[in-house]
Amino acid sequence: LWETVTSSFASFIHAVQPVHLSKAVCHRSKRMILDSIGVGLVGSTTHVFNIALKYCRELYSSAAVSSVYGKPGIKLSPTLAAFTNGVATHSMDFDDTWHPATHPSGAVLPALLAASQMLPPSTKPNGLDFLLAFNVGLEVQGRLMHFSSEAHNIPKRFHPPSVVGTMGSAAATAKLLSLSIAQCTHALGIAASLAGAPMANAATQAKPLHMGNAARLGFEAALLAARGMEANPFILDGIPGCSGFSAFYSVYQPKPVSVPSDHHEFLLEKQDIAFKRFPAHLGMHWVVDAALSVRNLFINYAGSFSPSLIRTIVLKIPVSKYINRPFPSSEHQARHSFQFNACTALLDGEVGLSSFSENSIHRQELRELLDKVVVEHPEDNVANFDKMYGEVALLLHSGDVLTGKCDTFYGHWRKPLSRESLLKKFRSNASHVLSEEKIETIITTVDNLENLSDSSQLACTL
Amino acid sequence: MILDTLGVGLLGTSTEICHKVIQYSKIYSSDISSTTWGHLDFRLPPLYAAFVNGVAVHSMDFDDTWHPATHPSGAVLPAVIALSEAFSQKKKISGLDLLLAFNVGIEVQGRLLHFSSEARNIPKRFHPPTVVGTMGSAAACAKLLALDQLKCKNALAIAASYAGAPLANAATQTKPLHVGNAAKHGLEAACLALLGVQGNGQILDMESGMGAFYTDYNPQTLPTLQSYPWLLDQQDVAIKRFPAHLGTHWVADAASSVRRKLIEHNNLFPLDKIEKVIVKVPEVRYVNRPTPNSEHEARHSFQFVACSALLDGSMSVQSFASENIHRPALRELLCKTHLQHPPDNKPSFENLYCEVSVTLQDGYTFSDRCDTFYGHWRKPLRKEDLEKKFQSNASRVLSAEATEGILETVYNLEKVEDSSVLSTFLSGQSATALSEKLHLL
Repeated sequence: LWETVTSSFASFIHAVQPVHLSKAVCHRSKRMILDSIGVGLVGSTTHVFNIALKYCRELYSSAAVSSVYGKPGIKLSPTLAAFTNGVATHSMDFDDTWHPATHPSGAVLPALLAASQMLPPSTKPNGLDFLLAFNVGLEVQGRLMHFSSEAHNIPKRFHPPSVVGTMGSAAATAKLLSLSIAQCTHALGIAASLAGAPMANAATQAKPLHMGNAARLGFEAALLAARGMEANPFILDGIPGCSGFSAFYSVYQPKPVSVPSDHHEFLLEKQDIAFKRFPAHLGMHWVVDAALSVRNLFINYAGSFSPSLIRTIVLKIPVSKYINRPFPSSEHQARHSFQFNACTALLDGEVGLSSFSENSIHRQELRELLDKVVVEHPEDNVANFDKMYGEVALLLHSGDVLTGKCDTFYGHWRKPLSRESLLKKFRSNASHVLSEEKIETIITTVDNLENLSDSSQLACTL
Repeated sequence: MILDTLGVGLLGTSTEICHKVIQYSKIYSSDISSTTWGHLDFRLPPLYAAFVNGVAVHSMDFDDTWHPATHPSGAVLPAVIALSEAFSQKKKISGLDLLLAFNVGIEVQGRLLHFSSEARNIPKRFHPPTVVGTMGSAAACAKLLALDQLKCKNALAIAASYAGAPLANAATQTKPLHVGNAAKHGLEAACLALLGVQGNGQILDMESGMGAFYTDYNPQTLPTLQSYPWLLDQQDVAIKRFPAHLGTHWVADAASSVRRKLIEHNNLFPLDKIEKVIVKVPEVRYVNRPTPNSEHEARHSFQFVACSALLDGSMSVQSFASENIHRPALRELLCKTHLQHPPDNKPSFENLYCEVSVTLQDGYTFSDRCDTFYGHWRKPLRKEDLEKKFQSNASRVLSAEATEGILETVYNLEKVEDSSVLSTFLSGQSATALSEKLHLL
């Protein structure tokens, strides 16, 4: 039986069972769930989040059963909760990043949390079902990205969460809602018609909407499929002369996914995720670690950090237009600026939440440093999260040159965050909106997710 | 365009897909609500009203088509009507306001389509209503909301992030969602912009902005407002006479004409004596379907329309009913039908033609060619025929009074003081109860 790519995906989504999850996959995915919740909680304090919430509350009031990050008194209809929480998750660019490049968790988790609260008490999925559905959402995203060599590099045209994230959300919610194979196929087909946002809105306030919409629209696709909506059953296959999912790529080579028999190797097993240590684009993390390293050298050399001794700051970075900004003027731009992050690290010795406040962005000392920055694009520095590096060189007036280089920042999949560091990030984020007690409850719940009998409890703790 | 779109939408509310999206949308209720065309029994939040009505408009592929190719009205009209109802307590929207906003939505779509030479041909990658339609809806709603220049810009930027659905869902039940979503998402983008969300202020300029949807993209600034050259002035739309892909309209006219010749020559339609049917059309993969099995596929099949028109003499809404799609005479004729793609037959709604030839067993061949079908912008529908289409569509779900009410209102739109009267008729309320509402300036 020759199977189409699309039907292989639908079969996978439908047929995969908790028993197929490996320990490593469970472990890694739970780390992702925890980090994503924390990032969403701190994200619920942002301006863009407030707008999204206000919008949803004004237009919709009933069928309000799903929780909103950081707002215990408020409930929204499930897809709008998914939207709002997705916006929160990506609002500060603090969420996880995978290879090939996308932010996988933010598109999937908010949809699952909302869906879990939507189902009637007699059919509530347990923690293991939830964990499985989450991993289905990740796996589908990863598989889809492998269909195009373009996807391996930092994107230029469509923002990946809006492309594969929407599909992942559809797959995950289809799994949680136990849709039939045919319905899973159509969920994917409908979701494709809801996917795809251009890169130009990255580094603007609208970028978080990409994540919110990925979560929401993928979820909607599953709901529509559940109600019998049909789409093109070959959406993932290459259809000559009439683009399906291939519309989003210039080179597209789809492959079927194997239906899990006794053993399925999830991509997460072979390729872990990167967690961010501060809220900015992943590329920034290399230059920051490089900057911190050269800063130490400089302090040893000069006794203290004395900017007046610096004539030029040379940044060696890959070519990527949307993260090359010499003088960012908003927080969104600052999170997408090699120059800004390098100089902040040099000046302050660290980069954190407060580095992106209005005051921090516009301070004089920082502007002065930014003036000294020169950017270079060495040929061997590829715009790819698996291969890139960051180098910061300080050319001093004295003629001396100090250099710092970072190949793998702490938090990257080659150097994963320790459990302590991950928890520290989570507690710091969650404490902006939740009590200590609630924070510890979430940590315990996620740690023991496989044993939870009613997964909607997780959503209720938010 | 407004009249045709309303008729097509009303008819569309009786489709299966429309029933599904209505069921789906009922999940959401709100304090502010808008009319679902053809339904008095419930209302929906403006966004979902726009969605459902947009789906209705495209549910049968019966809505207008422009050049460069898109279905402009379905993405805009449902959104502006739904939005106009959302304000009705606070502020009156006049017919002229509505007409202007509608035209802003159409104009923006046309201008965007001119930014890429790809757009001049029948599409292959993204379905145009999902690309430019979303933008048009955002522009029209921004106009109706009277957003300032900065917010209008943001509405467009945000809308771009919702745009773009692949063509592969054409000829499936999901295609109508494309227009519903264009309307809904454009409206959502305008609402988010109103609330202060900001996007990339150069969204239309950048390759990584609107340019993401095209392989060649050359944006241009708009002319000044002084004696503004509206695209609709220079280039009219095509209005469909039956609910199927525009390309099939050439086929229908050519086939009907060949049928007349056959009957003239043979005194009856010689079904049993037909050896083969050749249909010469441009190469358009998604309308090339030798044996369609669903209504959605049949509406996207050159072969189906050729055979249907040969058998019946003309095409209608009924041509796509299940019994007709599956009738044996048709299936038999389909087996004898082949497409050919002459190199001079370009896949563009401005240039394409269709030639149908029927060869009998005795060797005689009857053929005819259609360069411009009746309803195309070069040969627009006469007023009576446009009205006839509207009446036929609207009367499936509305009373004669409501149907008349809509006709009156749309013809006099510039003079209508309170455009909410249109929505009231659309919901099916009795016109006699409303005659007071129809105040003309």
